[in-house]
Amino acid sequence: MELERIDTKRAYDLIRERITTLQLAPGAVIDEQELAASLDMGLAPVREALKLLVHDGLVLITPRHGILVSDLNIPDLDQLSEMRLALEGLSARLAAQRATADEVVILEALRREQAQTPADDSHRQFAIDHKFHEAIARAAHNKYLAESLERLFGLSQRLWYLALPHLGFLPTAVEKHVDLVEAIQARDAERAEAIMREHVAEFYDQVRQILAKEESSD
Amino acid sequence: MDTNTVTNLVLGIDTGGTYTDGVLLEYESRRVLANHKSLTTKRDFAIGIEEVIEGIHIEDPSAIRMVSVSTTLATNAIAEGKGKRVALFLIGYDPDLLSRFQLDGRLATPNFYFFDGGHDLYGREKKPLDLPGILAKVVEIKDKVDAIAISAYFSPLNPEHENRVYKAISSVCDLPLVLGHQLSTKLGSVERATTAALNASLLAVLHDFIIAVRRAMEKRQIDAPLMVVRGDGTLMSDEFAARTPVETIHSGPAASAIGGRFLSRRDDALIVDVGGTTTDIALIVDGQVTVSEEGATVSNYKTSVKAANLLSIALGGDSHISLGHDNEILLGPERVTPLAYLAWSYPQVHRQLKALALRSWSQATPDWLEYWFLLRDPADLGALHSTREQVLVALLRDGPRAVPDILKELKLLHTAQVGVPDLFRQEIVGRAGLTSTDLMHIEGRYDVWDAEASALAWKVFCQFQFRDPDEVRQEVWTHASEMIVHTILTFLAERPLQLGDRQRCLDGVDSDMARWFFYNSLYRVHPHLDTSIRLTQPIIGIGAPAGIFLPPVAEALHTELLLPEHHQVANAVGAIAGSVMVEEELLIYPQLSHSGLEVFGYYVQAHDERFEFEELADALAHARSLSQQRALGAALRSGASNPQVTVEELTDGLDTYRIRAKAIGNPRLTR
Repeated sequence: MELERIDTKRAYDLIRERITTLQLAPGAVIDEQELAASLDMGLAPVREALKLLVHDGLVLITPRHGILVSDLNIPDLDQLSEMRLALEGLSARLAAQRATADEVVILEALRREQAQTPADDSHRQFAIDHKFHEAIARAAHNKYLAESLERLFGLSQRLWYLALPHLGFLPTAVEKHVDLVEAIQARDAERAEAIMREHVAEFYDQVRQILAKEESSD
Repeated sequence: MDTNTVTNLVLGIDTGGTYTDGVLLEYESRRVLANHKSLTTKRDFAIGIEEVIEGIHIEDPSAIRMVSVSTTLATNAIAEGKGKRVALFLIGYDPDLLSRFQLDGRLATPNFYFFDGGHDLYGREKKPLDLPGILAKVVEIKDKVDAIAISAYFSPLNPEHENRVYKAISSVCDLPLVLGHQLSTKLGSVERATTAALNASLLAVLHDFIIAVRRAMEKRQIDAPLMVVRGDGTLMSDEFAARTPVETIHSGPAASAIGGRFLSRRDDALIVDVGGTTTDIALIVDGQVTVSEEGATVSNYKTSVKAANLLSIALGGDSHISLGHDNEILLGPERVTPLAYLAWSYPQVHRQLKALALRSWSQATPDWLEYWFLLRDPADLGALHSTREQVLVALLRDGPRAVPDILKELKLLHTAQVGVPDLFRQEIVGRAGLTSTDLMHIEGRYDVWDAEASALAWKVFCQFQFRDPDEVRQEVWTHASEMIVHTILTFLAERPLQLGDRQRCLDGVDSDMARWFFYNSLYRVHPHLDTSIRLTQPIIGIGAPAGIFLPPVAEALHTELLLPEHHQVANAVGAIAGSVMVEEELLIYPQLSHSGLEVFGYYVQAHDERFEFEELADALAHARSLSQQRALGAALRSGASNPQVTVEELTDGLDTYRIRAKAIGNPRLTR
């Protein structure tokens, strides 16, 4: 990855953001030329970036329909939530067992930042939440776990944007983070895992309700 | 072209202060196949580069094996304060010491913060790292800056604190981070901090530039590795350059020097590059550009970046010729568009100059020879800052205007009152006037634009002073060559010589011996004492005006002037003629007991890795082989073909050593 061309990296970041924030909607057809022009970039880096996004599960290349943004639906949501529930729980458990002093300082700093950020600034809250989960995954000291979680997070980020218009940021999440940092600090693996599972489950429950409402009203 | 032989084509591009040059070169035979010049667009260098890549004649883009660029982008961005906003985190630095020696103004950013931590001269932790304090500061400022630079005390000996800070900050925000120990192994803490801050401020600038060049290449279907010239004339991959933009400081002049050597095949010479805006001087010894070991200085910021040792003066083909307060003739420092070019582009300017030449003495003053004109039309006048700017732009839409005319329209008395610096900086309004390029037109030595307009303007300029045009012209050339000789002298002697009034000096009113020696050597005035200055190496002239500016310089210095074929574009040739170079420096220092009295063994610090040895000899041996391996690997990854590695051992005193491995090879051109 180190020798990847810098324009490919930039194209990758930009397209990934467009997909996760739904500017490129699930199921939409991607025209490479148009995309390259709108990003003000060459065709070659855009093509390379799309290939990398196929690997992330965000883009599909089909022989008949060309390039598509991967679709999203309730069965997807259920499968995703099963995986994240299990892996995030594991991540919190391992973090409680393995976090270094520096890593606890990082979690504490993120928790504080979250407390200082207005609860209704949902974009920033979400960004901090993402950092928080990443920091815990790093504190778990298992790179395969961290990689899997990052990929799943990218996929569920789209769900969050889909639900965003109907979803205030969960006020309980902030409290959950306080408890979680305390549990990790206290090296209480059982408690850390339980809190994390509850926190993730709550998120998916909300999203599921909103999406179900959406579908029935269609 | 003979199509039976395998040819390796390379494309070199140099973005100078005035022109962007491109050359297409056949690598092995050193044959220049095509070249192109376009105006440098300072507001966005990529525009000029795109024009060059589009304008150059390329038969088969797929035959191009490498593209390489040298750029003044970094130097300019620093000089004009156009870098991004940077926060500098200083760990283990003493705030009182910094302010007492007034070093805090040299850090290249006003946003610097002190934190506990850092190491000592023997790599031992001086104070525990204040990570909570650092992260609290990051959260506070992260929306107000574009990048964060981190420099910890003695981090080259022990980067632990910088690395811990890196991990922590990258966990809480996405800003680009720069670590001091990755840019320099030198121990000077202020220079390292400055270098880190400058590097951080330039990251986005160079990143955008490289992407723009790549896009321009793709438009022409050029699929080849892209290299960027370093400040010492060697090449690095674009990906490396995007991470270490400070290394491109001085890359333009360094490329000129390398190109001059490449075209002339001389390994020892003085390189004088006469451009449109500046004249740059560098020295080639044993085939290499001499570099300043102590680090390059840009806009008063001392860095720890190794770059070509060079001296630059604001004198070039487009330097403005004007009259000073005492009616003395000034050459430069500002650069203007030659009148020959303006009149050639706008015939009405030719007519106006003709009318001016017929006016009476009191009405044909030299200020009528300065014109302002629209370089590009801002589509939306409302986007301009002031109504004054809007009025001026609207006025110039009908064509160039002489300055007194503009002042009259704006009802002002002096140009200083106009107050529209942004219009010049953004290259919306340009300035034109008399330049040495006009004199070359008059003499028929350069003949592409309107020579008659130049002659008319020159007549007005000289008549105003009641002087003979030929005599004044001669005086301008003498003045130019005197400036260049003076620069060469101070560059090589490495000490300043303040020039004064020549006549006062030769008449003995000014009693300074050094000045007298200088003038007497140039003009041989003393009846009994003959002094002379002799340069032992030849001068290689580079740039289009070199053939005109430099013959008297070489004569005055009693040396030979070489103007190799294609010397006009030697800068662009130099962008591809450099070697790929990677340097790997390891530090070895003793592991001391806490009392500092006992030596337990030796550390080898290889950037982020540290090895421990009981014996110094083992430590040195390990450092040698490790640095060699690493330099070789990195050179191959950067695109060097068959790199040769040399290992050097230096001592810092205090039982501390540096092992420096340098891997150099020509760029690899085969696919």
